[in-house]
Amino acid sequence: MHHYLTLLKKDLTQEFRTKEMLTSMGIYALLVLVVFGAALAQTASGFDILQMSGGLLWVLIVFTSLLGLNRSFAHEKENGCLEGVLLIPLDRSVIFLAKATSNLLFLFAVEVVTVPLFYFFFLTTTTPAASFWMIVAPLIVGTVGIAGIGTLLSTITINTRGRDVMLAVLFIPLVYPLLYACVSATTAAIIGSEGFMDVFAPALLLAGGYDIIMVLLSWVLYDFVISA
Amino acid sequence: MNPVLTEIYSTVLQAAPYVIGAYALIFLVLFVYVFIIMRGLKKTEQQMAVLEELLAEAGGAHK
Amino acid sequence: MNDTKKAVRLPEAGGMWDKAAPFALLAGALLATLGFILTFTTAPLVLGATVNGVELIGDQMVSNKLLLSQKIFYFHVPVAIASMLALAFTAYYGVRFLMTKEARFDTCAKTATETALVFIICTMVSGELWTRFEWGVWWTWEPRLTTYLILMLLVIAYFILRNAIDDPERRASYAAVFGIITFVDVPICFMITRMIPSSVHPVVFRTDSGMSPDMLVPFLICFFGMILIAFGLYRLRFRQARLAERVALIKEHLED
Repeated sequence: MHHYLTLLKKDLTQEFRTKEMLTSMGIYALLVLVVFGAALAQTASGFDILQMSGGLLWVLIVFTSLLGLNRSFAHEKENGCLEGVLLIPLDRSVIFLAKATSNLLFLFAVEVVTVPLFYFFFLTTTTPAASFWMIVAPLIVGTVGIAGIGTLLSTITINTRGRDVMLAVLFIPLVYPLLYACVSATTAAIIGSEGFMDVFAPALLLAGGYDIIMVLLSWVLYDFVISA
Repeated sequence: MNPVLTEIYSTVLQAAPYVIGAYALIFLVLFVYVFIIMRGLKKTEQQMAVLEELLAEAGGAHK
Repeated sequence: MNDTKKAVRLPEAGGMWDKAAPFALLAGALLATLGFILTFTTAPLVLGATVNGVELIGDQMVSNKLLLSQKIFYFHVPVAIASMLALAFTAYYGVRFLMTKEARFDTCAKTATETALVFIICTMVSGELWTRFEWGVWWTWEPRLTTYLILMLLVIAYFILRNAIDDPERRASYAAVFGIITFVDVPICFMITRMIPSSVHPVVFRTDSGMSPDMLVPFLICFFGMILIAFGLYRLRFRQARLAERVALIKEHLED
């Protein structure tokens, strides 16, 4: 437990000293929103953006997460921290938990900024349903899953050629079920039509199931990945 | 043919090319794979022959 | 001290399994052909939409359209199951590699994944043609097609990953881990896309539940035929891979 907190604090302090990763993720998210703006430029005035907004939001999150996951391990590799940490006799899975938690916290921080930004850019012209605040649940569940499996995959890809693209190639198909579930839940909450709970509840439950299975699996397999 | 029979069998002729195509393509894919394996095998056997020659030369030179 | 370590039996080419392999391949091909013939002769056509009026065909009163397109299932489903079985072997050999660190298991895993890829391509191709006929479109985001697309992407990603790493042990470890994750992910993907009710696209599938014995027999024959073909192809590829490995080893020794 003590190791876990120490490793976590190390990651967080390093980040707060430079704020490099948070700012680059934040700017990247803003740029993706701008691209969305261009993509939706020619849509008719009666266009129902509410139906697409759940999906667009998650596109934003996935791409920003890919950037963040890549950067978080790039630090370690460049400065040789990883070898240093491996010298300490601790259970390798603790490294996984610490790294996953720090990735999770960074992603949450970025989401806190980008979701209101997304609302500002795209959703002020329409009125989302009263259940809009419920998107917090799929956001949390989805981000936990992304952080968990992303940490495992970025540990694998940091040592391969073409690391950024490699991470995307491995990450996106694996995360697809989670993405599907979270987009369904988010869209259902944003539209909030009659019986949206029929979609929201099972989607959230399934996303939670995905999280549990995948994070557990990543935790167990992490040992084999980090010592290789 | 009486009209009911024609209607009962109405989709069959339209479906036929797709069904035949599906089966044919599956067999094609499997055959292509066998072909690829065979090509790899031939290449490896050629390499084996080269090595045997080298070994024979090395053995002959030592003698 | 080392004698007390239990020797791990490594899968090798040219043993009992390999002697069985050509027969398996032949048997599989025969069974598949038999199944193919049977589907088009004895298996009854599946009923489609109802028709006004009734006719006496064979010895039954038929009042629905008879569909030929369902025949694709007789090969499509066995090929799909064969690909999942091959993937299960990838995960199994991955686990054994991680436990023992023996390179032989990595070769087995790689061969199993190749077999899986071949059968996935077969599934996608036959599924694609079925979709085109049934729904009149080339693609729809329905659970089965989507899951198979993701599976295909994952298996391709497996091979891309293998190509991107040079160190053999690291490559084998990472591939094993990814193989295990893939095998766990595919059922999850299928369940999630199936179980979330979609507000836009109707989730319609024609599952082959409750097949009459007339249909079951050709189906089972095709199924066993495909499994045997898969097994035969796997052993053949494994044999070739082992031979190539041994040649490379000899080359290394000769260069010393």
